[in-house]
Amino acid sequence: MSDKSIKINVPVLARVEGEGALEFSIQDGKITHLKLRIYEPPRYFEKFLEGRSYQDLADTVARICGICPVAYQMSAVHAIESIFHTQTTPWIRALRRVFYCGEWIQSHALHIHMLAAPDFLGCQSIIELAQKEDEAVRRGLRLQALGNELITLLGGRSVHPVGAKVGGFYHAPSTRQVAKLIPQLEQGWLDSEALILWLDTLELPDDVQSFTCVAMRHPDEYPLNEGRIVSDSGLDTSIDEYLQHFKEHQAPHSTALHSLLDGEPYLLGPLARLNLNQDRLSDEVLAPLAQTQYHFPSHNMYHSIVARAVEIRFAIGEALNILRKYQPPEQPSVEVTPQAGIGFGCSEAPRGLLWHRYEVDSQGEIVNAIIVPPTSQNQARIEQNIAHSLEKYGLERSESELRFYAERVVRNYDPCISCATHFLTLTVQRSEQESISPLESKTGILLLAIGSPFGSDSVAWQVAEQLQKCSNIQIIYSNNPLAQLKPLLETSKQVVLLDALISEHPIGQLIPITLEQQPVQHPQSSHSLTTRELLALLQTLKKEDKKTYQLLGISVGNGTQPITKKQIAAAGEQLQQVLKNAKPQSIQATETTGA
Amino acid sequence: MIKPKIAVHKFSSCDGCQLAFLNMGESLLALADRVEIMHFAEAGPVDENASVDIAFVEGSIATQHDLERIQKIRANSAYLISMGACATAGGIQALRNMADTQQWIAGVYAQPEYIDTLDNSEPISDHVKVDLALWGCPINSQQIITTVRDLLFRVTPKPERDKLCLECKRQQQVCVMVSRGESCMGAVTQNGCGALCPSVGRGCYACFGPAEDANCPALANRLEGLGLVDREIAQKFLFINSAAEPFQSTGNKRKQS
Repeated sequence: MSDKSIKINVPVLARVEGEGALEFSIQDGKITHLKLRIYEPPRYFEKFLEGRSYQDLADTVARICGICPVAYQMSAVHAIESIFHTQTTPWIRALRRVFYCGEWIQSHALHIHMLAAPDFLGCQSIIELAQKEDEAVRRGLRLQALGNELITLLGGRSVHPVGAKVGGFYHAPSTRQVAKLIPQLEQGWLDSEALILWLDTLELPDDVQSFTCVAMRHPDEYPLNEGRIVSDSGLDTSIDEYLQHFKEHQAPHSTALHSLLDGEPYLLGPLARLNLNQDRLSDEVLAPLAQTQYHFPSHNMYHSIVARAVEIRFAIGEALNILRKYQPPEQPSVEVTPQAGIGFGCSEAPRGLLWHRYEVDSQGEIVNAIIVPPTSQNQARIEQNIAHSLEKYGLERSESELRFYAERVVRNYDPCISCATHFLTLTVQRSEQESISPLESKTGILLLAIGSPFGSDSVAWQVAEQLQKCSNIQIIYSNNPLAQLKPLLETSKQVVLLDALISEHPIGQLIPITLEQQPVQHPQSSHSLTTRELLALLQTLKKEDKKTYQLLGISVGNGTQPITKKQIAAAGEQLQQVLKNAKPQSIQATETTGA
Repeated sequence: MIKPKIAVHKFSSCDGCQLAFLNMGESLLALADRVEIMHFAEAGPVDENASVDIAFVEGSIATQHDLERIQKIRANSAYLISMGACATAGGIQALRNMADTQQWIAGVYAQPEYIDTLDNSEPISDHVKVDLALWGCPINSQQIITTVRDLLFRVTPKPERDKLCLECKRQQQVCVMVSRGESCMGAVTQNGCGALCPSVGRGCYACFGPAEDANCPALANRLEGLGLVDREIAQKFLFINSAAEPFQSTGNKRKQS
């Protein structure tokens, strides 16, 4: 391998949304240290939902995403309805499926024709594609319009629809409005067959990989709003237990939280869904596929475009089945009685599983929210894919070839256009030494702030944030410290773990914790057992190392009082002092932290 | 014939307003015939620094990087149009401007060392001169088509900023506030959506932003009469377009009282 270092910048990643930076180094013909960073300028949805009525929920979460607002609305309203024990009617259930089908049709048609197909036909855009494949493009636009019509039928407009609410819909379409759509749906049914056959004429790369697929599954239906969560590696769990299987952690140098299933990346989206639910599709839906070269289950990511086309066909068929029998209901919604509680909602957005958790009070006001979009869950898998595919493609190729290939890989995942912004920059370092990310130096301090979004447990994150501007301190925010074991062992910096601590000390006080100390009276934070075990593990594994592993607790008193701005700022100051004075020591001297 | 050059840029947003272009269907292809699309990353063409006649900007300014980008875009465009609530008013995410940021958790989107997130989410007009503001959350394709057509004919676009009430009257939609006691923001909100919410039986929630000469205090009193408490009234004004006046001051007054 050459030992020169080459950097490549791709100013804007076209036809994929996302500001991403892709960085990797090549050593001995293999990729090492691959990192895909997707940036989300924080919009803090989960925060500004707090204190708002459940009645604003559908309108608010829709704004998370412009092409999948229905998905967000559906996950949200189902979560609230489960908390309130609201029973909807069969009419509502069926029409929500139609609503969702509209979004799948619109989103998949947009992706196939505007974002993905140009790649496979050597075009830069749909506009160029239209010159080559006029009929295919017009058909794609027709399908997209059909999807939008379905959403508009129930929601008033296709982006940020106004028709859905907790309890059902504000308004039922008239029989006449529905009847007007039937011919369009029937044309769409024909178009969907032509689309699948057209995709058979494309030359899709052969790139089979091994990965776990995750999707919802329902006893009778292809999954939309209801079901359990399953994988092709044996998972079968209720949506309420999502957090027990899927853990988020912040990968160093990435702004998104990586989601892992049993410690491994996994795939969500049309390919995963079809792989896991093909038996829920009717013969009519599958007929055109059977005439093509494509088979499912498939572990070739390039087949995602075909999976999307099959799902378009399914969605049109489903909408036709329901709307052909349409009768206006007595009421388009049911009575809703707020009550306090915690609930979960999970639905299959066009890009994959979208999971929500809400806690509400007795008035139905949101106390806190967790929203996990499919794209952020796919990130770990995207990284894995890029590494694998580029190695197979051949790392000796030019940077521009590598860049284009990597972009195409990312496009297969249809990363959601709301979740990220701007550019994909590609940095390739070819060298015989281990590459060092420009942002990581070998000296300084690695601060691991352990917490979670809830109440006093978030204090470590808030205090660590105070030190963001310190150039010699690298901060990792995590809710699962054990997932950080590898970076903590590999780093050459001093490591300081920071965690919230229930104690009798004043709120905001930093308390060094050593393993020799007596435990304080009450059980510590919910992470402390893991954190202390982690500390012990680190100290055992790295006995010979000259750097320290330190654990600092931030007192949160008895854990029920809110922590003020001033207290956070003061704790931040104190932490800065502590870290300044901290010196590398051998592991034996653990009594003090130099505070 | 020389075709005008246009660009479509995205800042911090949900991307819904760009769909006003992409959902135009065949009209998008017709548009591509009349103008030269120099930059529109989602549709394909990429050239962020191209000099253009018209730049459409979606999204609010939320990071340091955004601040630099918008200056460049302004310098490269003869006519700059902000489209959507994020660009015209900072968006729904402007709700974070009012927050006590110390209590807000960075960990959800923890960015240890990369982009500084600015304290506020701000409209484009706070940073550069905007030639035309298209309000809406989202805007719709009709607004794009009308604007582009006006500009192609060298007519200054002049969107109406009348209240939604006029649209209900035009549609003979019975007032949901008067007849059903629904809390409706229509009396202070710009028309543009075609009175969608009243047409499905709910009150408007002001996604198209403040109308001209909006009498917000009077509406706030009316909402109180309908039984809303101050906090709920504040939330009506501080929602999709919270940072736009007079929504912001009316909302804040009610929040404090």
